[in-house]
Amino acid sequence: MHKTAKRSARALAAGVFALTLALTGCSSNNTSSNTASGGTASPAANGDDNAPVTFSVFMSGPGQQPTADNKILKLMKEKTGVSFNMEFLVGDLQQKLGVMIAGGDYPDIMSGDDKLINAKAYIPLEDLIEKYAPNLKKHYAAVWNQIKDESDGHIYVLPSYGVYQGKITEPTYQGPGFWLQKAVLEEMGYPTPKTLDEYFDIIAKYKEKHPDMIGFESLNFDWRVFPLQNAPEHLSGHPNDGAVIVDNNKAQIFADKDIAKTYYKKLNEINAQGLMDKEAFVQNYDQYLAKIASGKVIGMFDQHWNFQDGETSLISQGKIENTYIGFPLLYPGAEEWYRDRGAVGTNRGFGISINAKDPVRIIKFWDQMITEDWQKTIQWGIKGEDYEVKEDGTFYRTPEQRANADKTSWQVANKITTMHGYMPKIQGTYSDGNAADPGTQPQEFFDSLKPYDQKILKAYNKKSWSEFFKEPKENNIYFPAYSIVLKDGSAAQLAQSKLNDLQVKYLPKAIMASPAEFEGVWTDYVNQIHKLDIKAYEDRMNEGIQQRIKNWSVK
Amino acid sequence: MSDTVLDKQVKTQKTRKRRVDPEIGVSLSWKTLKMQKQLIFMSVPIAIYLIIFNYAPIWGWLMAFQNYRPALSFGKQEWVGLQQFRFLFEDETFMMVLRNTVAMSFINLVLGTVTAIGLALLLNEIKVKFFKRIVQSISYLPHFLSWVIAAGIVATSLSIDDGIVNIVLMKLHLINEPIMWLSEGKYFWGIVGASNVWKEVGWGTIIYLAAITSIDPSLYEAASMDGAKRFQKMRYVTLPGIKATFVILLIMNIGHILDAGFELQYLLGNGLTVDWSQTIDIFVLKYGISMGNYSLATAAGIFKTIVSVVLVFIANYIAKRLGEERLV
Repeated sequence: MHKTAKRSARALAAGVFALTLALTGCSSNNTSSNTASGGTASPAANGDDNAPVTFSVFMSGPGQQPTADNKILKLMKEKTGVSFNMEFLVGDLQQKLGVMIAGGDYPDIMSGDDKLINAKAYIPLEDLIEKYAPNLKKHYAAVWNQIKDESDGHIYVLPSYGVYQGKITEPTYQGPGFWLQKAVLEEMGYPTPKTLDEYFDIIAKYKEKHPDMIGFESLNFDWRVFPLQNAPEHLSGHPNDGAVIVDNNKAQIFADKDIAKTYYKKLNEINAQGLMDKEAFVQNYDQYLAKIASGKVIGMFDQHWNFQDGETSLISQGKIENTYIGFPLLYPGAEEWYRDRGAVGTNRGFGISINAKDPVRIIKFWDQMITEDWQKTIQWGIKGEDYEVKEDGTFYRTPEQRANADKTSWQVANKITTMHGYMPKIQGTYSDGNAADPGTQPQEFFDSLKPYDQKILKAYNKKSWSEFFKEPKENNIYFPAYSIVLKDGSAAQLAQSKLNDLQVKYLPKAIMASPAEFEGVWTDYVNQIHKLDIKAYEDRMNEGIQQRIKNWSVK
Repeated sequence: MSDTVLDKQVKTQKTRKRRVDPEIGVSLSWKTLKMQKQLIFMSVPIAIYLIIFNYAPIWGWLMAFQNYRPALSFGKQEWVGLQQFRFLFEDETFMMVLRNTVAMSFINLVLGTVTAIGLALLLNEIKVKFFKRIVQSISYLPHFLSWVIAAGIVATSLSIDDGIVNIVLMKLHLINEPIMWLSEGKYFWGIVGASNVWKEVGWGTIIYLAAITSIDPSLYEAASMDGAKRFQKMRYVTLPGIKATFVILLIMNIGHILDAGFELQYLLGNGLTVDWSQTIDIFVLKYGISMGNYSLATAAGIFKTIVSVVLVFIANYIAKRLGEERLV
């Protein structure tokens, strides 16, 4: 009884497999051999999941080809029989995709791309996952509805980032904050500013002693306008939803509200004191980065990733004391929500192409890879070789192992960094409490820092940069609202664009006006906003939020 | 073989009295067409090229009268008549943008021509070959920079800390404290004009220098005989000598009066100067292409084309009336 059930399941699997082969047309030139293999000799039917097979993989970014005897790839081949023929992007992506689509010439596995989705180049994955991949199903359970493609509700790509489990231990902080130079903090006796007043007080005192420094920096260039526009929502305790704040699932713009006025009035005051960089609103992004890289800027509001190139330059100049630490400033009574859990990177990851030889095998392979043992092997390495384990079970690396990991030559022989970037992965912590990878393990991160940074962190009694911010709350189901799509040419889109234009124009004016004129400019600005069809924009946002609450919730 | 063809041609030319178009001076009979069949044959590919790439796309103009949505077939598009044009002309931003475009273009045209002719005249007077070449090379090199780089250089020179412009003006005691050139709308047109001169003056000069070299030297000798001094020779020989070139270039440039440029304004403009810096092309990018409203972008494009064609014909007509060289 039991045996027959098993056999019929295998027969079914074989049938599915044969059908897939026939549909994808990989070996459709000989029908008789197809039926034959479907009947008896299919690897899936034999349960021989470890037969050697090579899959071709295309990745939409440049990368380093792992060496032929790469440790991880060798292990994968040994344990699962799967090996890869990797192709990294060389040259222009759009061109490459165009050629692939025109020729219908797809490898087995491709990194996610909207263009490829529109070209129907991927097979839907949800049935395969249901049938063959219990681990993946578990991994994506909480975001199951969210990772479906908006257009037709199929899952084409397994998102690589944004699915967390356990605790988020990310020690470097990439999000928004009010930043201050480490050297400034050091000289001022390691203060922790909590309000705008305290923050600008530090800047004022420091600039008094060092008049050459630039007090507060900002940016209002091209699409990088968020350093100027986003601060009020964070100050008032909202996460980064873009141009709207959402309270009780109801979105409204905040540009004309008091939370905005308070902030820009403060900037107007500090401008009058000479603390604001005069050129902040006329410079382009390169000039902004150059100022940061000169080490002369005391502080700014920005997202970390936006000015990180400037910091990288500082580090390479050996001016580590001029790099920055972020602070979550708040209006009185507001509750902090600077850090967020990041949204799932839908459509960014790996998908299986319609030309794939053996989709079942691929999904089974990924299913195996998402298990904790494999994740540790891929992200940390081999125990005893690439990392050590303390008696209490904590993972750590010796200085020598750390130095190894920094070397490119070592990486190509011992890691699969680029491909791992596109694979489904565990982020956060494993069930034994260790972080997903060495970079996010708190103690390990601390030990790998330069002595100067360690000194600063010790002075603040912290172990990482993100500890200056509160642990992120659970995301709202619709988060982030800024990714709600506005229909091209719609009134909502026009209103959003015009609102942005007004902000770009009036905010610098308001800040640079003399304090006596501020009220006038502000009233003018608010009047201009109210002339727009803001309601169309807010309605669309609320519609999008309701849609997401309805479609994305997993019950 | 070819001899006989030639013979025949000569014969027909001799025997037949040709109907000659007095305006263009070429006979227009079927026979002559046949005679010039090699020439006509050679121009066919060019004509086909023009038809495919320059005329066939005009079909796309229909977009301006639709509410065009990509991926829908032509029959399914929604026709909206002149709605896009109405939106353009009713939008107050567009009127401002039009003003900026025409103003900056006019400034560029006048400044560009005057400085190019001026530099050409001066260079022509220099007799030291080596120095002349150096000046010429230096002045036309910026032409080869992309506007992205050029705008970077402009922005850096105008910066308030360590910008060369402010340093020089401070040293000359013309200003007391550095001016934020890029934050005031009233300076913007001037900055664009000056940047254009800096980048293009050498390039523009080349054509005028070429025109000057083709002036008959005997005219200068005659002028010297009549006792003309240097400036008089410039005034009465060189300038009239390049008048034809000047007029042709002017007519051609007038056709581009609505192309004040895109890159420089886009790169140097910012929120504070937007009322003076936005041109039609930026407007089209912002409200047309980046918002997926291709119909609006097309409508603006048609508007530009029509204005340009009309301006060229007007300029051409005036040139003809004044008895000058003309384009068509």
